[in-house]
Order: sequence, then structure tokens, then C-alpha cells
Amino acid sequence: MSTANATVSLFDDEFLKKLEYLNIISKRLFAGQLRAERRTRKRGTGLEFADYRAYVAGDDFRHLDWKAYLRLNRLILKLFEEEEDLPIYFFVDSSQSMNYGSPSKLDYARRVAAALCYIGLANLDRVNVISFADGVKSELPPQRGKGRIFKIFRFLTDINASGETDAKSSFKTYCTETRRRGLAVVISDFFDGHGFEGALDILRHFRHDIFVVHISSHDEIDPGLRGELLLVDAENNTTREITVTPSLLTAYKTEFAKYCEAVESYCGKYQLGYVRTTTDFPFEELILKVFRQGRFLK
Amino acid sequence: MTFLALTPLGATFLAILTAGAIVALYFLKLRHRRVVISSSILWKRVLDDRESHSLWEKLRTIISVLIAVTIALLIAMSLARPEIESLTGKNERIVIVLDTSPTMNTLTQDGRTRWQHAVDRAKGLLNSGGPTTEFRVIDTSGVTASAFTTDRNEVRRLIDQMSAKTEDPKFPKVDDNDSQVYFVSDGVTLHNTPSFVKRISVFESANNVGITAFEIRSIPSMPLSYEAYLEVQNFGRPAEVGIVLSGTGGQRLNKTVKLGTEEIYKDVFSLSQFAGGGVRATIQAKDDALSLDDVAFAYLPIKRKTRTLLVTRGNHFLQTLLQLDNYVELATTDPTNYRESPTIDAYIFDRFAPATPPARPALIIGTPSAPWLKPTMGEVKKPEIATWSESHPVMQFVSVHDVSIERASKIEAGNLTVIAASKQTPLIVASEKPKWVMLTFDLDSSDFPFHVGFPIFVENVLAWFSREQLALKRSPGIVDVPLANAQIRTIDGNIVPSDQQLGRTVFVTSEPGLYSGTQGDQRVHVAVNLANPTFSDVNRSVFKTDKTAAGQRYWLRRELWFYFLVAAAALIAVEWLTYHRRITL
Repeated sequence: MSTANATVSLFDDEFLKKLEYLNIISKRLFAGQLRAERRTRKRGTGLEFADYRAYVAGDDFRHLDWKAYLRLNRLILKLFEEEEDLPIYFFVDSSQSMNYGSPSKLDYARRVAAALCYIGLANLDRVNVISFADGVKSELPPQRGKGRIFKIFRFLTDINASGETDAKSSFKTYCTETRRRGLAVVISDFFDGHGFEGALDILRHFRHDIFVVHISSHDEIDPGLRGELLLVDAENNTTREITVTPSLLTAYKTEFAKYCEAVESYCGKYQLGYVRTTTDFPFEELILKVFRQGRFLK
Repeated sequence: MTFLALTPLGATFLAILTAGAIVALYFLKLRHRRVVISSSILWKRVLDDRESHSLWEKLRTIISVLIAVTIALLIAMSLARPEIESLTGKNERIVIVLDTSPTMNTLTQDGRTRWQHAVDRAKGLLNSGGPTTEFRVIDTSGVTASAFTTDRNEVRRLIDQMSAKTEDPKFPKVDDNDSQVYFVSDGVTLHNTPSFVKRISVFESANNVGITAFEIRSIPSMPLSYEAYLEVQNFGRPAEVGIVLSGTGGQRLNKTVKLGTEEIYKDVFSLSQFAGGGVRATIQAKDDALSLDDVAFAYLPIKRKTRTLLVTRGNHFLQTLLQLDNYVELATTDPTNYRESPTIDAYIFDRFAPATPPARPALIIGTPSAPWLKPTMGEVKKPEIATWSESHPVMQFVSVHDVSIERASKIEAGNLTVIAASKQTPLIVASEKPKWVMLTFDLDSSDFPFHVGFPIFVENVLAWFSREQLALKRSPGIVDVPLANAQIRTIDGNIVPSDQQLGRTVFVTSEPGLYSGTQGDQRVHVAVNLANPTFSDVNRSVFKTDKTAAGQRYWLRRELWFYFLVAAAALIAVEWLTYHRRITL
């Protein structure tokens, strides 16, 4: 797919304009590499006043507070906050289970990721996109600046759904390599046979600020199944013969709700950002309203 | 449990085979629809949870199999017609014999007839027994004899169609080997029943006065003169009986007599004032319980002279005889001038016969030669009359045992009716169609004209030819008329349905009446009267209800197979419902 086509398929121009007014919120302050618009713990040459300290030789005397010197007869140096870029890691689940529903969850995840990437790039953050399933399938090196958005689109478009989900292993592999701490956005359906908790624990332990986008298909929430069925697991092709009765269907729905609740509870417990959506939920509304209400964007 | 349709071994084999087949069929793989889902994690959790925690889930499959096996077994067993004696009774057979004697029409004090009481008792018997009990109903008139059936409603309908008859009853042949036989009767006409028969009596004493005999007879010395003989008997309390004889011309004779119990009144009534036609005798008595014997019918022949043509070359005896007969209008001619005439009622051919048979009956004397007559085969000298028919109408009040005959022609009787004959040849023969009587001897060569019976013989022949006859006497029931393809009418002219049997016409009537049968120009009157002291004596019963004559009742009203099928249908419905609601698998 060409870049232009990828863009058209993911967003239209008007939507992109709206995205430019949004800003990704990180609850923590992370050290950046390059100057940007993001506050850091560093004191530097930013515009925002941060603190005073005594002048020592070698300090930039342009930051001396001369008014304080006149009042106190001591050289006092004004400190300013350093504004740097924010590393944002978009973990896009591309396991086979994401290739389900109409539109597929992976398509929806691509669009969410693309939108958030665009917002990040517009704010001069460093955007990393990682496709994972039973391991890190592919990753896009850090991108910065809106001009890189097409590269990200292309990367997202090239992601194919395959393999079983093993987020823990994938995150562990990715994080153990030297990475700067940053904002980790996990976009997944969280159908992980190894459990979602272990995966998010990894990201927590590496002290990333985590935001979870939980995508479900309407067919998963309310499967219109009846009768004698042979269920085939899309990820591992395991089969199971079942007779779908109304009570079984109710039990499944209850289980599904419990599962979603468990993911949300986990996120609440560790103060992780959490947004749950379905693929039939209007995408623009998700980005422009839900993420803002979830305090992920401002 | 026993089985009516199979042996126990066969039923067991059927049950095992059915259960095995159903279980085998049940475990045949059902093709499941393939559905790809994103992940089976949640489904697995749900299914594992349900399978591990619910005993019901474990039982669902086996319950479904059990229901299917039970349904199949119920159907299979219903084919074997099982029977549990305590629930349905044993497979017994009950024969209900209903007495259809005329006396069953006797009224009881409640205004109903003994027959209606008998019907109630018979229907009461139908409520006994179990669902497998087979019933059969027979009457004593031989009209109704059903096959054994368990369909009580069918038997009820049959009983409703039955009625007390007016004919002679006869206890039917019934087999007591595997059946209980109940006889519902008043016990008046059928006293002796087989010992195995359980009797149920509907008898109740009643008053009855009945006509036990009624007939019209001719007076031999006076042709065309008739008298009526009436016999009335009282079978109840002493009663005053009004007797009325009425004719079709409005003639009427009334008489009132007092009759004590069992007293018989006999009387002869002159019918000289009566015109020809039906004569009806009726009696009236207070509290009379049986109306069938209160009326009787007879027929009085219409009096009219017979226009007779004597064709002879000269016969003094015959000519004088016929001229003296007040009931003969005689014309005489010789053979050369003979011409058939439509105004003639009968011909008398003396030693002559025309080439073609006349349209009207003829008395032929001698054995003239004609194509339509039997050819003579010689002559018999001094034949002695060895046999003669006293029952034939032409021989009524005539004796020919001492008639001497000099010579007679020898003929072959063939299909002719031989009225009198010697050992060698028939002497008097008759043909029904065309109607003629022939003497094979000449009057000149016999002393027959000098006998007192000769004028009566000639009178009888002419009467048989063209005059109306007295009515035939018959009893109610199946009445036969000795005419083939005759049309039967009542005295009022209404046509009565009839059938043909062996050259006779038969019809059924249950009440006394006067009927006529007509076939071409032939007419026969039939007087159907009960006129039987056996039937009129309605209190002659020696019959009591047997103590054992009460059928046992059982809880179930139908055979077990019916309930088995109902249960199977109910289980199918339950299985269908539970399967489609996924309660069972």
C-alpha cells in the first residue's frame, strides 16, 4: 500500500487537523534527549521558572537574578525547567486474535495507534511503534516530528496479524534492551493465554507510564452463536465442540465482562490509564472525547 | 405383564434391539458447524467451569439418551400390546346376547319397554371389563351379530340400531371357551339357555290381551262366501275386551266380551256384508302392555263372476256344471269357431288345444296335440291315482282317491307341477307360466265328473286361474312372497323395499299388516300377524338375573399401548423442548 493510500485509509485531513490540537499526557516526568515542549526533571534553558540556587563559578551569569543581588547582596542564580521530548512506546498487538471482527480489531488498533502517534509527533515527542504477538514482531525506531507520520502509517499498514499472544515475553524482550523510560501505550484485546498481568507488570517494573487501550469486537461481547458448534481458536487453531445454549451464552458474556473488569481493575490498582472500546465505536469520538475524558489527551 | 401381540421373548428382544439401536444412533457424531473465534480462552473458562462444577452438566447427555431410549422403548412396547391385569384386566371376551323377542316390546310400569331396559343393561355391561376386553353383541332374531371389538362406542351404536323384533327368537350359537356370555331378556320366549350363559332379566309382569288367531276362510259349500275366525286370549287380570272387525268398504262388526285370566274367546264372523279387500281385527283392553298382538289382518277376496269360454265339440256334464255355477259367466263354442277374446277370464278346452297358448289361463281336458303342450307317449289303461297334492289350491276340499279312470295318456311331466298321478303317468298337471291345468284323461273315460269333488275341482281351478286368493299367512320378521321380482305394497299402497331370494320376493316387517305382492298380472296378498299365544303370554317368564352377572371394572379405560404412546408423545415434546432450549444435549 502506498503512503498516500495508507493515510487516506487511516485518517482524513480534517481529522488530522483536529489531532494537532491534542497533546498526550504523561503523569510522570521522563528524561528526554532533545529539546522539546515536554517538561522534565532537568533544569535547563526552558521558559518556565523552576528554582533559585547560589551562584557558583561557571554558571551562566545570564541567569543571575540581579534584583535579588541588589536586595541581598548575594549572587543568586535563577533555574529554569528544561523542556524535552517524551519517549512514547506504542505496543500494538498483532496476534491472530486481533484479526477478528468487522472492522477487525487490528484495523481499529492501527487507527488508534496512528492517531496517537500523530499527536505525539505533533508535540515533538519521540514515537516508537512496536508490533508484538508471541514476541516482538517488528518495531519502528524512534520518530520525531510530524514529517515522520507517513513512515509510521506505512509501518502500521504493514503489520499483519499472526501468531499467539505472549505480551509478557514480548515486553520483556523489548524492555530489557536499553530503553529510556517513557509512556507505554498498549493497544490489545488482551486475549493472552499467559495472562495480561505479567505483561503489564513488566512495563510497570521498568517504570514506564502505562496507558491501556483495550479493544474488543462486538461479536466477542455478544456472540450470536447457536447450536452445535466446533469452535476454532484463531490463534492456535485448537478446536472444541460445544452446544451453545442460552445459559452457556449468558455464562460466556458474564465471563467476558469479568475479564474486561479484571483488566480495568488491574489498571485501576496500579493507576494505569485504561480505555476500553469496541470496534463498532466511532473512532473519532474515541480519540476526541474518550481519550480526553480518560485524561490521556488534553 | 403380558403381551397380546408378541411373546414375552419376542417383546424382550424387541426392547433390547430398540434400546441398542437408539443408543447407537444417539452416539453417532453430529456434524458441528465450524466457527472461528478470536480466542477460546474465555470459552474454555466457561466450559471448564460448567463441566467441573455442575452435576447437571454431567447428567445432561445421559438424561437425553435415557429419554430417547425411553421413547423408543415405549413405542416398541406399545407394538407388543402389553397388558397388566391389575390395571387393565385380562384380555377377556364378553358376548352380549339381546333378546329381540316380540314380548320385549311389552311396556313396563315406568312407561318404557322391556327392550329399552335391556338396552340399558347391555350398555351397562359395556362399562365393565378393561380396555382390552372385547365385546360382541348378538340378537336372537339372527339379524345382528357383530364381531369381537374393543370399540365400545361401536358396540353402543350397534345396540342403538337394534330393536325388538316380531319374529320367532332363537338363542344364537355362542362359544363359551374364551368368552363370558350375558343374555339380557325377559325370559318369556327363550327359557332354555346354555348353562354357561349369565342371565340378566328385564322381566316385569304386565297385563295383556292378544289376538292369538285370525283368518278368513271360504265356505266350501258356498263359493265366494267367506267367514272370519278370531281367537282372543287374556294373559293378565280379568278384563273387558272390545273387538272390532272392519273392512275396507267401511263395514264394521263390534263386540265386547269379558275375559278372565287365561280365558280364550273364539268366534266366527260372517263376512257376507263385507266387500272384498283387507279386513282388520282390533281389540282394546285396559292397561294392555303389548300392542303388537292387538291387531290382525286378513284379506277377503273380491267377489266377481269368472267369464269362461268352453271350447268343446259337446260335453254335457261339463256344460251343465258350468251353467249351474252362479260364479261363472259361460260362453260355449266349438273348436272350429275358437277365437281368443280379451274379455275372457279363463278357457276350458275339452279335447282341443289351439296352436298357440291362450293369453288367459286354461283348463285342458284330455291330451290334445299342440306345440306348447307335452306330447303324449302312448296310453295307460286303468291308471290308479296313487298320489295327489292336497296343498295345491285346485285340490282344496277335493278327494280323488276313489276316482276310476279307464285310460289316460302317458306324458312326461318335466317342469310341470304334478297334482295327481298314477305310478305310470301324471294324471293332473299344472303349469304356472303360462297358467294352465291339464287332465291327461278324458272325462268320458272316467267317473270323475260323477264325484262330489268334481264341481269343487272346477271351481278351484277357475278360482286359481283368475279369482283372488285368500291372503298368505305370515309372521312378522322376514316375510317371503312366492312371486319372483314382485313389487310389495302395504294396504295403503306404499311400496315396501324387498329383495329376491331363490325365486321369491322377501321383505322385512316388524309389525302386523296386510301386504300385496304384484308381478305382472299376478297378485298375492300376505297377512302378517303376530297371532301367537307364545308371544302374547308376556308373563310366562321363569327368568331371574344371575348373581354373577356383573362385570368387573378396571382403572384404565384403554389399552396400555395407548398410554405408552401418549407417554412417548409427551416425552418427545419434553425432549424437543429441552433440546431446543439446550437444557438437554
